[in-house]
Amino acid sequence: MEIKREELIKKLEDTKANGYTYLKKITAVDYINYLNIIYILYNIDTKNEIIFEVKLPSNDLKIDTVINVYKSADFYERELSEMFGIEIIGRKIKRLLLEEWDGAEAPLRKNFIWGNKDYKKL
Amino acid sequence: MPTMRINVGPVHPSTHGVLRLIVDVDGDTIKKVEPHIGFLHRGVEKLSETRMYMQNVSYYNKLDYVAPLSWEDLYVGAVESVMGIEVKEQAQYIRIIMLEFQRIANHLLWLGTFCNDLGQMFTEFMWTFRERDKILKFFERVTGQRMFYNYMRLGGIRKPVPSNFNDDAYNLIEYLYKNISEYTKVLDANNIFKERLKGVGILSAEDAIEYGVSGPVLRASGVYEDVRKSHPYYAYNKINFHVPLKAEGDSFARYQVRYEEMFQSIKIIRDALMAMPGGDAVGMPVKLIIPPAKNNIIIERRELPKGEGLLYIVPDKQKPYRISIRAPAFTNLAVLPKLAEGAKYADLFAILGSLDIVMAEIDR
Repeated sequence: MEIKREELIKKLEDTKANGYTYLKKITAVDYINYLNIIYILYNIDTKNEIIFEVKLPSNDLKIDTVINVYKSADFYERELSEMFGIEIIGRKIKRLLLEEWDGAEAPLRKNFIWGNKDYKKL
Repeated sequence: MPTMRINVGPVHPSTHGVLRLIVDVDGDTIKKVEPHIGFLHRGVEKLSETRMYMQNVSYYNKLDYVAPLSWEDLYVGAVESVMGIEVKEQAQYIRIIMLEFQRIANHLLWLGTFCNDLGQMFTEFMWTFRERDKILKFFERVTGQRMFYNYMRLGGIRKPVPSNFNDDAYNLIEYLYKNISEYTKVLDANNIFKERLKGVGILSAEDAIEYGVSGPVLRASGVYEDVRKSHPYYAYNKINFHVPLKAEGDSFARYQVRYEEMFQSIKIIRDALMAMPGGDAVGMPVKLIIPPAKNNIIIERRELPKGEGLLYIVPDKQKPYRISIRAPAFTNLAVLPKLAEGAKYADLFAILGSLDIVMAEIDR
């Protein structure tokens, strides 16, 4: 189900109140012009899954944190900001998830250049 | 008293990978734990985008080197969904048998290293490794490999099972049943073991759901959730078994859930061996296979030994466009700061060990 960026928190809160208390995964897919952020929610009692997709234009990668709705979002959001270069608004912990990495580039974006960068410059 | 900051690692005492913990302590009470991960990052998700579907299998069985076959099955199962391939009936049963053996092997290794984490319980470590090695030798006879099997093929398995497969498997579960039953004598009857674990690292059912833990950790908190029951795959819905549950949510409950799961796995193997039909189980050879034109996004889930594994695949023509991995140990580790807060420093590894993490699938 596709939703707008502004209504994300409201929508997740409503869905959680409806019994979808378990957040399975937050992930993203880079479609070059835009990115899809995917929230997979799960209802433990009825065993149903619901998927929300938020479309972000590539030149404006900002999204609200959902950590106040689901605590398990913490690690996933850190991974998201590191791997896709998405700015998560309202996060307290800014540290990257994987160490020894400057975080300047987003490795899971499609425009990431492989291999030795110095070699490419030659 | 001012808090003191202790650096633990980067090392894990029981070779599950490299983990670093920053622990703030007041006396010997833990105020805060911060896990630092990423020492084993290989970029599996990115690498998968560069290779064809069946070339990726060897990345996925190295995600969890304690239970390689389970991840391999999840990945091949997801590719089968992308291609729209049905698994042959005999292969479904063989997969169930092998996966449940893999679950026992995983829990055995966990139990041995967990006792090692607690300190000075090396007997248990030797016992569980003795049993685990029998399973690995069985895998070697069936698949030709001891650890990284590459056994799953689209629609089936790589090669037909040996002629004495059934007898071999029966003898093995008989042996496992007898030997695993003995463990209670040194564990459940051992006061040190009980004192170290009971009431340590209590996770309530609400918190377990809130933090998104899965597998035995979730079930030890009294939440009934098992992918084999909620979204049955293969012939699991034809086999009768129950899912062990414990309400306490402490480290001891997590041990008990895994211990009972081993016996349930033995039961599943026995029933699957009896119900296994004859016929052909060999899957398609590895070659260039192009999925059907309409690119549906596939979500595939499996009950891995450590919890629920999930793959989110956006297919493309020859290679996957994007694969996203939900590793069960990733979320199970994320709950550690919550569990360790307020515990004694000596209990930190009784808690961390009970979560059954492996860093290869956390860092990916």
